[in-house]
Amino acid sequence: MTEKKLGLPSVVATGVGVVVATSCLISLGIGSSAIGMTFIISMVIAGILNILFALSVSELNALMPNLTGGLAQYTLACMGPFVTIIVMVGGYLLCNTIVGSAECAMFGNTIASVLPDIPIPGNYYSVALIIILMITNLNGVDVFAKIQNVVTYTLIGSLVIMGLLGFFKLGTGDVIAQPMVLSTNFTDVTALCGLAFFLFVGSEYIVPISNQVQNARRNVPLGLIITLALVFAMETLLVFGFHNYTAWADLSASTTPHILYGTLLLGNFGTIWMALVSICAVTGVINTIISSLAYIADGMAKINLMPKVFMKTNKKGAPYVGILVIGGIMAIINATGLSTTSQLSFLILTGVVFWMVAYIVTHLNVLVLRRRLPKAPRTFKVPFGPVIPIVGSLGIVWMIYNISSDPVTRLNIYMLCGLIFAALTVYSVIWVKKVMKLDLFKPIPLKKVMAMENDLYHVYHNPKTGDHVPQLEK
Amino acid sequence: MELSRVEIITNNSKIEALKNAMGKYGITGMTITQVLGCGVQFGTQEYEVEPKKEPNLLPKDLVMLVLPTKDVPAFLEFVKEELYTGHIGDGKIFVSAVTNAIRVRTGEDGLDALFQNEL
Repeated sequence: MTEKKLGLPSVVATGVGVVVATSCLISLGIGSSAIGMTFIISMVIAGILNILFALSVSELNALMPNLTGGLAQYTLACMGPFVTIIVMVGGYLLCNTIVGSAECAMFGNTIASVLPDIPIPGNYYSVALIIILMITNLNGVDVFAKIQNVVTYTLIGSLVIMGLLGFFKLGTGDVIAQPMVLSTNFTDVTALCGLAFFLFVGSEYIVPISNQVQNARRNVPLGLIITLALVFAMETLLVFGFHNYTAWADLSASTTPHILYGTLLLGNFGTIWMALVSICAVTGVINTIISSLAYIADGMAKINLMPKVFMKTNKKGAPYVGILVIGGIMAIINATGLSTTSQLSFLILTGVVFWMVAYIVTHLNVLVLRRRLPKAPRTFKVPFGPVIPIVGSLGIVWMIYNISSDPVTRLNIYMLCGLIFAALTVYSVIWVKKVMKLDLFKPIPLKKVMAMENDLYHVYHNPKTGDHVPQLEK
Repeated sequence: MELSRVEIITNNSKIEALKNAMGKYGITGMTITQVLGCGVQFGTQEYEVEPKKEPNLLPKDLVMLVLPTKDVPAFLEFVKEELYTGHIGDGKIFVSAVTNAIRVRTGEDGLDALFQNEL
């Protein structure tokens, strides 16, 4: 039996590590400077919707535990292969590779700005970081966890301390007097909910590693909730700190508002400290993205939604093909400088729409399985019947509507989503019909999905070659 | 008080964890037997391609215990959650009525025979 290597601290580290990215710190500055402290209301709304999502994920994980792919398997069992491919490739593999690349670019830029005397372009640092994290991830999940724990708890500790210093006005910089609130208009608050949502997304990355988690029944749902609560607490403290040390106008004008806050709070020491926080944030995100996307690709290959090659593992048990492909793509994007173009942030928002659609599908999966397997034991069940999944789904639809406060940008995002959906539809139809030879919308029986997690399933279903090509039965 | 017998058939690999969990739950007595058996799949493993045509007996463990009938529903929920993995082979649970139980050493019967006492 596989030894479970990850405890609750590692689970929380994985969640916080991927949720708190450099782009989150920047988004926090943008949101706060737009409406002041009332941005916390946007954060509360977004945080609650993310907690509702975490509850649904926890129930699915209780019903279909220890799966490598997580959401892919849940969706395949509930809605069939077509929806699964659209959601997983669009919402996770595509979206997060872009998000990860942008994060790496921010890392490179931060290092280049902190070390201006060294004539090395920022993207060299980005590519170096990706290569280092690819190598460490190739050494297996325990190395991943050690790195994740160190960087995430450094990140959490730093943000909490800097937030508390700002909250209690204990910084060495000058405390400024400015209005707490710039707008109390509820429309302004709701318009920033899409931005606030981005501050919390990603906690579900805990699920793909759940089969490595000790006492997963308890630690996975608990880890999800602790992650979101911790993130909310840290970010709220920072908003108070922003109010006490950074003028809203300066915060709005800065391209790196978190670095500005560090500087105004603690001078040069604060600049370096916040740069260190940025490095921890990006390392945590990239480490988790490379590891979890590789496991998601592995899980999708097990259920035949991706080429079989993604199932291959090295001697350390790491899905090395996924690690090399995902890390490689991010390295190429950074090496070519694509990650610094202005279009990339627009692409991130588009990817986040697919990510949100994945969240809606997750809520719907809970309702489908409640109906299909009403008596199956669930070690965790979302309370209040179907209310929470329904409210959660509607809330995320509302978030998608508020993805941008600018109507033109919003329309462009929707149009690009339509184009990506069309491209994914072509891929999905060809793959499902020609390779899987299945109906597009026919769910795969839950017992079959669970069986496909077993490596022997793939050996038995391909006796001639002995390779890992799964064949689903109609 | 009415008594019920609960018989749980499950994989050998789960028995140690189940035994320990039942101890924590408050079960004070149980009998575990190594058995051979199959269910509706005739012993077909979940990863196999073709279902078996004839019964293939697989090694399993049978846990038998007797408890007050009123405690059975909660105990069944506990056992189901404890054994659940979502995979074929998680197990089966049978519940039947018991007309009496007797502790031979003291001659106590019924519920008295199931719990510790001062005698």
